[in-house]
Amino acid sequence: MPAILVIDDSEVIRNLLSDYLTELGHQVDLASDGQQGVEMALQGEYRIVFCDIHMPKKNGWEVYQEVSKIKTQLAFVMTDSLPDELAKMAQEAGARRCLRKPFDLSEVRETVEQILSPAETR
Amino acid sequence: MNLFGMLRAMSLRTKVVLPVSALLIVVILSISILLIRQQATGFRRELETTGETMVRMLAINVESGVLFESKYELEEAMNVLKRFDVVEYASVANNDGEVLAEIGDWLDDYSELSISVIEKNQSTHRDCEHYHIENPHGQEFIELIVPITSRIEQLDRETLGITGFGRALDPAVFTERIGSVRLILSLETVNVAIAEAQKTVMTLTAVVLILSLMILTSFVRFFTRPIRKLVEATDQIGRGDFSRKVDIVQQDEIGQLAATFNRMVDSLKQSRDEIENYNRTLEEKIIERTLELEEAQAQLIQSEKLSAIGQLAAGVAHELNNPLGGILGYTQFALEKLSKVDPEAVKTDDIASYIRYLTDVESQARRCKTIVQNLLRFSRSSRTSELDEVDINRIIDDTCAFVGHQLSMNQIELIVEKQDNLPVIHGNASQLQQVFTNLIINAMHASPPNTRIKLVSRLSPALGEFGGAVEILCVDQGVGMPKEDVKRIFEPFFTTKEVGKGTGLGLSVSYGIIREHGGEIKVDSAPGKGTTFTIILPVQKPATGSDTQSKDFPAATMRKSD
Repeated sequence: MPAILVIDDSEVIRNLLSDYLTELGHQVDLASDGQQGVEMALQGEYRIVFCDIHMPKKNGWEVYQEVSKIKTQLAFVMTDSLPDELAKMAQEAGARRCLRKPFDLSEVRETVEQILSPAETR
Repeated sequence: MNLFGMLRAMSLRTKVVLPVSALLIVVILSISILLIRQQATGFRRELETTGETMVRMLAINVESGVLFESKYELEEAMNVLKRFDVVEYASVANNDGEVLAEIGDWLDDYSELSISVIEKNQSTHRDCEHYHIENPHGQEFIELIVPITSRIEQLDRETLGITGFGRALDPAVFTERIGSVRLILSLETVNVAIAEAQKTVMTLTAVVLILSLMILTSFVRFFTRPIRKLVEATDQIGRGDFSRKVDIVQQDEIGQLAATFNRMVDSLKQSRDEIENYNRTLEEKIIERTLELEEAQAQLIQSEKLSAIGQLAAGVAHELNNPLGGILGYTQFALEKLSKVDPEAVKTDDIASYIRYLTDVESQARRCKTIVQNLLRFSRSSRTSELDEVDINRIIDDTCAFVGHQLSMNQIELIVEKQDNLPVIHGNASQLQQVFTNLIINAMHASPPNTRIKLVSRLSPALGEFGGAVEILCVDQGVGMPKEDVKRIFEPFFTTKEVGKGTGLGLSVSYGIIREHGGEIKVDSAPGKGTTFTIILPVQKPATGSDTQSKDFPAATMRKSD
């Protein structure tokens, strides 16, 4: 199964995503700030990155821009309590998906399944 | 003032009337004086002529009287003279100077009686002596002296009847002086006549003068009146009254001037009205624009408030969403797992993980509660609250008792330095304790183990109008903050702590509380050098502290210290 990287400064969100995605059978790595997230995303072989936007050291946009330059195949799922317009902006900026906190676990599963489905050409 | 200055100061009328009157007076007076003189001379000459006629007539009439020395005949001849008032004295003398006859009284002593000869005119005839005499009483006389001649005819031959001897014998007439006639005429009558004539001339002159001056004055007034009107109108217009018109109906230059003036006033008035109109319009526009600006400003303030509220809401939402996400996610996860699990075959591992999920859910729910509570306290702190007399050192003691355990758990030493006999402060003890607790907990979170936190209370001396203040310092040896963080330290939801450790509201709440006490809170920090928070609370009761405190979002009145 492909590996998933979760970058979030909130411990409970990290743990929740880790528990749930592991339960779904994915290999999950965790990063607690943007800087660490960029390093891990560039070093590891991940298929999906769950990335929070408001984080210390580096915010989610910076992480996305730095990483997606090099790892063009990597699917980013931005997670934050974004207002609607910001979510739209995020999609226009190239982010594949946005999950608005507090999100349902079903949304997480559907997003992952959608990304990994054969129909997804990326 | 010199003459020119005086001339310049005179009114137009005076300028015309004065010189013209002076000229008139001089001319008329000169003419009358000349007239009087001529008249006087004429009178005298007339008298002289009359006198001369008389004296010559007398000289002829008395010839035989003198020849025969007949006093009677002489007096008869002279008696005619008595009819004339002007004749003062007359006498007939022979060649030896002996007076043969006289009429009137005359004291004939030139030197003794000081009868002075003021004039000795040579008469038209060479033989008539003519004197002008004035006696000491001021009476004037004319003295005329004419010689008395006698004709001596030499009879010729023809007269005698001798016709022989040719005609060589011509008749010859010889005149011989036999005496003199002296006539003294009084000038009094003449002088009285002259004086009367003078009086008449003078009266006439005066009348003519007064009349001509009156005519001149009214004439000048006639000319200057329109000018005066113009001056008055100009003056009134100069004072801003454009209603006045010059009322002059004349066809001459002054009339034209008045008409031009009125036209000028009309156009001036029009211009002024236009300007006033512009001014009014401008004023109205200014008022309108000011109102618009005020409205815009009010709108701006309103939108600023809304944006502040929006920011607050966004911050609250952001803070709440993570724990809510945890609660939601773990609950769903547990439910999902439990729905698949056979109740009979529950593993110990599963139960342990469920416990972990539920513990997380509980702790996240608590976190939500804390956030909401802080938010409520934050909103309360911006409202008016009661202020009592409080002892800062006691609050510090209470605070230390409250946080002491937590500090020792974190291996941090708390040193308290309290200055004795601090003045009481007007404040809210529980709010101040909340502030001190917040500062110590913040310091604790920033401090590595085995470091110190120092809490100091001391008196800050009175300065200027301020009645002194109490200072509370909280000094830590922790990680410190960069400048950017120091600037934002009192903003709501700003935090340097890890997620979960703080809400980002503590210091902004503290800030609100201290401002409400009329005090100040400052921060001094640098990375690696620890942080010092200084609270200054004034001793004087904050007179307007609770009123001026913004009842809205305190961030709007926040004063950051670098």
